[in-house]
Amino acid sequence: MTNAQIEIQAIAALVAVACAIPGAFLVLRKMSMISDAISHAILPGIVLGFFITQDLNSPLLILLAALTGVITVILVEYIQKTGLVKEDTAIGLVFPALFSIGVILIAKNANDVHLDIDAVLLGELAFAPFDRLLIGETDMGPKSLWVIGTILLITLTLLFLFFKELKLSTFDKGLATTLGFSPVLLHYGLMTVSSVTVVGAFDAVGAVLVVALIIAPAATAYLLTDNLKKMLIISCGFGVFAAIGGYWMAHFLNASIAGSMTTVLGIIFLLVYLFAPKQGVISGFFQEKQQQVEVSLLIFLLHLQNHAEAEERHVNHLREHINWQKVRSKTVLELATKNNLIQISDDVVSLTDKGQEFTDEALNYITTNKATAIEELKNRFFLFRG
Amino acid sequence: MITEHKPPAVQIDDLTVAYNYKPVLWDIDLVIPEGVLMAIVGPNGAGKSTLIKAILGIIQPLAGSVQIFGKPYKKQVGKVAYVPQKGSVDWDFPTTALDVVMMGTYGSLGWIKRPGQKEKKASLEALDKVGMLAFKNRQISQLSGGQQQRIFLARALVQNASIYLMDEPFQGVDATTEKAIINILKELRKEGKTLIVVHHDLQTVPEYFDWVTFLNVKGIASGPVKDIFNDDNLTKTYGINYKVAVNQ
Repeated sequence: MTNAQIEIQAIAALVAVACAIPGAFLVLRKMSMISDAISHAILPGIVLGFFITQDLNSPLLILLAALTGVITVILVEYIQKTGLVKEDTAIGLVFPALFSIGVILIAKNANDVHLDIDAVLLGELAFAPFDRLLIGETDMGPKSLWVIGTILLITLTLLFLFFKELKLSTFDKGLATTLGFSPVLLHYGLMTVSSVTVVGAFDAVGAVLVVALIIAPAATAYLLTDNLKKMLIISCGFGVFAAIGGYWMAHFLNASIAGSMTTVLGIIFLLVYLFAPKQGVISGFFQEKQQQVEVSLLIFLLHLQNHAEAEERHVNHLREHINWQKVRSKTVLELATKNNLIQISDDVVSLTDKGQEFTDEALNYITTNKATAIEELKNRFFLFRG
Repeated sequence: MITEHKPPAVQIDDLTVAYNYKPVLWDIDLVIPEGVLMAIVGPNGAGKSTLIKAILGIIQPLAGSVQIFGKPYKKQVGKVAYVPQKGSVDWDFPTTALDVVMMGTYGSLGWIKRPGQKEKKASLEALDKVGMLAFKNRQISQLSGGQQQRIFLARALVQNASIYLMDEPFQGVDATTEKAIINILKELRKEGKTLIVVHHDLQTVPEYFDWVTFLNVKGIASGPVKDIFNDDNLTKTYGINYKVAVNQ
């Protein structure tokens, strides 16, 4: 690997982590789309800042542009508060207006500004190593690396200091207020961090793809864990993986780095969405199947308990009586036999003591509405499931 | 002769609250003495939840003032615990029952400081008190409605407040949980705490509470259940001829 390649991957990885952290809170606050609004609406801020500073990595430009991001949030909230339009509409009204101002500003000054629409939309990660930070004669590495590194450091410090407060105000704004923490302050703090991060990442990945870096890792991690800290760590992990994986994908396909990173994120999400152990589509499908069988089993056991007469309990009559397909009857019979809940003699089915006990307890739990206790009960009685 | 009176738990003067300039609470005057177990009753849209939120400073009133033990809420933050309606939070949030209860300790910790062993111990005790210790590591979406309500109650207990404000704690819970919650409330009252509960089931008011406030945008009446919980006040509050069997 050349130095430039390592530098590009380092920048991409830092950008991904810096985006994933505020992203987790935005996703949990159901505010994902606000990141879309911010990433577009900062454009006029960036262009104006560029006119003033002539340097995309200047701290002044970053602050100016971040301010535009916060103003966007305030505007959206203001329009929404009038009650005339809903939040999504308010977002849709505000950011295209601001974005188009930025586009016009670029077009009007296209001749003397090194900023074009392509770069704005998709970023120019491949060129990042050319713009170097020089102190005296010493080369300190690419400027973007320092910019995003500083932003990430600030984000991590704030996260470390205010994790408890952010968690509380995200979960329960009302309680946060009554305990004396200001949710408004935390909200705008988060919005400021998000805006600064988006501006810092803008140069690398552009206005459209930065949204994916913010939302996708968090949304993916959310499917895998019940713990906020783990969700943050997993998000960052996915972000870094997508950054490096995306770089090499772009390298071999000779394609856009930012585009490839986003594609990798998309693929990761799809895989997790399908295969996540608890909340994935496929495991959900099997859980549903299993539940169907278990409910059928319970119906069957109840039927046995309710009917002493032999003809109601004959193996061949079960299908007609409970009105089941052949396959399901067979599955249920097998499951019940394997777990010693029933015994079959002369083709007549009857409950074993264990089956009797299970049916009584299950019924008790269902009628007293303690449905969550059912799972423990099943675990106690079932040796084989599904 | 001058006797010094301890200020009441909550004193509300001329309180008006409006959403978009439409008043939902109009000129409320209310004194809640310390140590009562009080129900706030009134029809839908009477402003019961709003009253609680105004006491807590979650919404700013258009006029009037609220005093907690003689001082504004902002100076008494640690003295008041709040149990919101169950539906006010997203139960899919990635966290456990114990963690939610621990959030009750954040107030005494203040900014930045993290909860430690002491807070964890207090939270486990609170979970035990509401009979939820076995569920401490359960993800909160995996709890039933009644269990979620108990978690909220435990979170309020751990705040160790003097005043407890509860917004419909019995909504959507089964009879066992309702009994368990009311027993805890009665125990808190014995310890001298003040409990203010938005309540819907008029039948159980005399059994559960010793103080009641009738509310319908304006304050109708407030006082001991045995004195004022009668058909006259119910009719005034609900606008129809209300008959409740009050077995005193």
